[in-house]
Amino acid sequence: MQKEENVSGNGLTVTSAGTPSFEREALPCLDAVYRFARSLARNVADAEDLAQETLLKAFRSWHTFREGADCRRWLFAICHNTFLRAERQAQRRAAHEGGDADALPAVMLHAGAMRDGTDALLTWIELGPALREALDRLAEPFRAAVLLVDGEGYTYQEAAELLDAPVGTVRSRLFRGRRLLQEALLAQARDVGLGGAGSENGGSDA
Amino acid sequence: MPDGKLDCEAAMRRLWEYLDRELTGDTREAVRAHLHECSACYGHYEFERAFLAALGDAERERRAPESLHGRVLHALRSEGFVPRYGES
Repeated sequence: MQKEENVSGNGLTVTSAGTPSFEREALPCLDAVYRFARSLARNVADAEDLAQETLLKAFRSWHTFREGADCRRWLFAICHNTFLRAERQAQRRAAHEGGDADALPAVMLHAGAMRDGTDALLTWIELGPALREALDRLAEPFRAAVLLVDGEGYTYQEAAELLDAPVGTVRSRLFRGRRLLQEALLAQARDVGLGGAGSENGGSDA
Repeated sequence: MPDGKLDCEAAMRRLWEYLDRELTGDTREAVRAHLHECSACYGHYEFERAFLAALGDAERERRAPESLHGRVLHALRSEGFVPRYGES
């Protein structure tokens, strides 16, 4: 950590000296931290508070950050711990885990979609807005796994470490989350008239 | 799984892990070989690959609101943070 200046006063010597590297490494992660916070918190306001608290805690502890370490991952760990502490205080923790069986129904879902013509949804509708809306509705344990693996590119093992959960649990949350998202998208495709008869554009082979 | 071959159901159970690059060695190779031979499963593979790509994009496009950036900077400043590069 560079020490550009040695400001003292308010007992903030270390953090003030660490300001330049904090600005360079941690602040640019605010968008990613916010995304992770959104996957954990129940609503936007809680997510914003959680993201802010995470950056503040990181700033206060910046002197403990090892130069060269993965800053985003460090921030995610702070964010998750902060979230868990708040959750414990609120005394609620819903436990609804899916099984590994979730992997297969996803494919069966696609097989059904092929039969009714909705599998074209990936090419026919603007997926981004529909997916973001579906993500907002996805329950917390599934969202966090989906965000970490699909959004941030972590491996199952890395996501499990960040969420402090067994890797099998994270995998089953990930699969369940993806399946719920696909169900939501397919329902939306049917709502806007994709599929159904499915015969106008050559139809399907089923 | 005689001679390392997978049937459709077994291959599809591993599809997401395959796409996530979580499989290694013989299992990864067995799924790859099945997809190469089975056009029905290959169709599922393409669907899932496109879905996961769209999902990743949708996640990463989300940005923290401008107001939050301002709030965080304000809170950090009150703790001694002095920005140097990004703004005055």
